[in-house]
Amino acid sequence: MRIFSQAGKEIAQFRRDKLTVALAFLLPSVAVLLYGYATRLESKDIPVAVRNYDNGALSREYIDTIFANGQLTPARWVGKSAMGPLDLGVAKATITIPAEFSRRLKRGENSPVQVIIDATDVNNARVIKNSVIATTGYFLRSHNLMQVKNLVSAQVRLWFNPGREESLYVAPGATAVILWIFPCLLASLAMAREKEQGTILQLYASSISSFELVAGKALAYTAIAYVQAIIVVAISMILFGIRLVGDPFIYILSLTAFLSSAVLFGIFVGTRANTQSAAVQMVATTGFTTALLLSGFLYPLRNITYPLSLISNILPARYFVEASRNAFVRGSDFASQVQLPMALALCALILLVGASRIMRKMQLSGGS
Amino acid sequence: MAKAMQFPLHNYRHQVRALVLKELRQIMRDRQLIFLLFFMPILQLFLYGFALSPEVEHLRLGVIDNASSPVSRQIVAALVNNGVFDLRASGGTEATLSKHVEDGHLEAGIIMPPDLERVIKQGGPGKIQVLLDGVDANTAGITYGFISQIVATFNRELVTGSQISRELLSPQISFAYNPGLISSWFFVPGVIALVLNLVSTLVSSAAVIREKDSGTLEQLLMTPVSSLQILLAKIIPLSILLMITVMLCLLVSIFVFHVPFRGSFVLFLFVSFLAILVGISIGIALAAFSQNQRQSLLTSFFVNLPVIQLSGAVAPLESIPELFQWLSLLDPLRYYVNCVRAIILKGAGLEAIWPDVLALAAFAIILLVLSTSKFGRQLA
Repeated sequence: MRIFSQAGKEIAQFRRDKLTVALAFLLPSVAVLLYGYATRLESKDIPVAVRNYDNGALSREYIDTIFANGQLTPARWVGKSAMGPLDLGVAKATITIPAEFSRRLKRGENSPVQVIIDATDVNNARVIKNSVIATTGYFLRSHNLMQVKNLVSAQVRLWFNPGREESLYVAPGATAVILWIFPCLLASLAMAREKEQGTILQLYASSISSFELVAGKALAYTAIAYVQAIIVVAISMILFGIRLVGDPFIYILSLTAFLSSAVLFGIFVGTRANTQSAAVQMVATTGFTTALLLSGFLYPLRNITYPLSLISNILPARYFVEASRNAFVRGSDFASQVQLPMALALCALILLVGASRIMRKMQLSGGS
Repeated sequence: MAKAMQFPLHNYRHQVRALVLKELRQIMRDRQLIFLLFFMPILQLFLYGFALSPEVEHLRLGVIDNASSPVSRQIVAALVNNGVFDLRASGGTEATLSKHVEDGHLEAGIIMPPDLERVIKQGGPGKIQVLLDGVDANTAGITYGFISQIVATFNRELVTGSQISRELLSPQISFAYNPGLISSWFFVPGVIALVLNLVSTLVSSAAVIREKDSGTLEQLLMTPVSSLQILLAKIIPLSILLMITVMLCLLVSIFVFHVPFRGSFVLFLFVSFLAILVGISIGIALAAFSQNQRQSLLTSFFVNLPVIQLSGAVAPLESIPELFQWLSLLDPLRYYVNCVRAIILKGAGLEAIWPDVLALAAFAIILLVLSTSKFGRQLA
C-alpha cells in the first residue's frame, strides 16, 4: 500500500509546479506537430533546370513529360553552365537536351540527354534519377519510340499505403519517439530533484523499501505519461488522419509496457545523476538520440551499422515504433506481434529491478 | 585608479582579460561542461553518421515461382544480384506470402504466373506480380523505381542479348558532388550544425545561470566591471572553446567519415563563428528569461526542438507544408546548415552562399543585441 501513497505524493508534488505541468503537456504536443509535419524524407516539387539546345516539338514534349508527374518542377534558371544552378543551389538537377534532338529521334537515331544530379542529399538523388528514367520511358512509349518490346512486366502493388503518404509512416513513429523522451524526462527530473534538494536522505532513513519507492514513483509518472499518450495520439489522429486499424488490445498492452519502461528509464537515469541538469543532459544524450536514431523512426532498422544495431535491439522505442505502425498502418492481428509487448515488458522489468538495486545500495540497512 | 583614468581603454581590456581567464579556468574545472563541449559532439557525430542511412538494400524478399522455368529463375537472380533484395523465402502459397508481407516479416513478395514462359514466347508481356510493403513510403518509392529498372534491363537482355540500352533516348545520369552516393556525406555536415547549436546554447545558458543561481553575479556587479564586460567575458572564452569543438567535428568528418572538404576553410570558420554567436545568444536569452536551471533546461528543449527540426539538418525541407517552410525561414540554423553543406561538399564560395551568410550574420547581430540588452537590464 505504501506504493500507492508514494504515488499519490508524487502526483500532488507534480501538480503543484505549474510550469512543469504546462511544459509536460505542451512540449509533446508541439513535438508531434513538428515531427509530423516537418519530417518528409522524400522531396516533392524538386527544382530542375533544363538547357534545351533543340528547337523542335519533340524536345518540348519531352520536357513537359518530365515535369508531368509532379515530382520535379522547372527551376528558374537562364544561365549557360550546367553546374551553375547546382552550385548556387537553385536547382537539384540540370537536364541538357542536345541540338538536333527532335530531328534525330524522328530519324530513329539515338540522342544523348545529359542529366547531372546534385547528390548531396543521397536519398533525393535516387528519387530524381528514378523519376527521370520513369518519365523518359513513358515518353518513349507514348510516342511509339520504344525499341525493345516488354516481354516481362512487373505489376507492383503497394500494401497498407498505396498513396505513399509519408505522414502514415512518420506519425506513428513520431508518437513512439515523443512518448519515450518526455515521460522519461519528467521522471528523471523528479528523481534527481529529490537528490538535489536532499529529500532523498529522508527516504533513505524511512522504512519505505527501495522497491516501493521506485514502484511508487513509476506508477505516478506512468499515469502522467498515459495522459501525454492520449494527447499525442489524439493529435496525430486528428491532424495526420491515422486510425487504429490493428488489434486495440495488443496496442494498449504495448503502450502500457512502453510507457512504464520510459518512466523507469527516467528514474534509472535520475538515480545516477546528482543534479537535475545532469539528468536532463543524460536523457538528452542517451535517451533522445538513441530513440531518434536507432529505433527505425526515420530509416529502416536493417540499415544501422553493425555494432550500433546491437544497441538498437535493447531499445524499447524500437519495439514500440513497430507496435505503433502495426496498430495504425498495418492493422496486424494479435498473434503476429505478441513478441512486442513481451519484449517491452521485459525492458520495464529489467529497469525496475536495476533502479531499485541502485537505490537499495544507498539505503540505510535498518530500513525495512 | 589614477592610472585607469589615464588609460581607460587599456584598463577596460585588462578587466575583460582577467574575467576571460577566470571564466576559462572555471569551465576547464567543470567536468560536465567539458563533456558537453568536446565529447558529446563527437558522440553525436558518430551516432548520426553510422545510424542514419537511407540506403535501399537487403530488402527481405519472398518468391513463389509458379512458372519454375529458366526465365523466372533469371528474373529472381537479377533482382537478388543487385543487392536490393535478399531472398528469404521461396515456395508456399500466395496466402502465406501475403501474410508474411502483412506481418512485416518480408518487405516484398514476387509471384510468377505459371504460363510465364509460354506468354513470353508468344511475344508477352508476361505479368509478374510484386507485393511491396508500403508502410515506409520513401523506401517503397525507391524500391518501385529499382524494380522497374531491373525488369527493363532484363527485358533488354532477353530481346537484344545485351544489357546496354539500345533505346533512342536514354538519359546519361551522373551524380555531382557525391558520385558514390555515400549517405553520411549528407548527414555529417548537417549534424555538425545541429550539435554546434545544441552545445553552444546549453553551455552558454549554463555558464550564465550558474552565476545567477549561486549568487556570484551580485558579487561581480559590486566590482568595478560593467555588465557588458561580464557578458564579453562569457562570450569570448565560450566562442574560443566552441571553435575548438567545430574543428574537432570537422576532423572527425574528414578522417572517420572521409567527407571531402572542398571549400574555403576561412569561410567555414567565419560562418561557424556566426553560428556560435547565434547559439550563445540563444543560451544567454534562455538564462535571462528563466529563474533557475531547471526552467532554463526545459525551455531549451522547447526552443531547440523546432530549431533543429526546421533546419533541414536531418530531413530535407523541400516537401514540408508551406506554413512550416515559412517558419523555417526564421530558423537561423537553417542558414548555417546550408552554408556548411555548400562549403564542405560543393566547395561553394561567398559568391554562391552570400544570401545565407548574410541571413546568418543578421540573426547573429539581432540575437546578440536582444539577449545582451535583456541580460543587461536584469543586472541594472
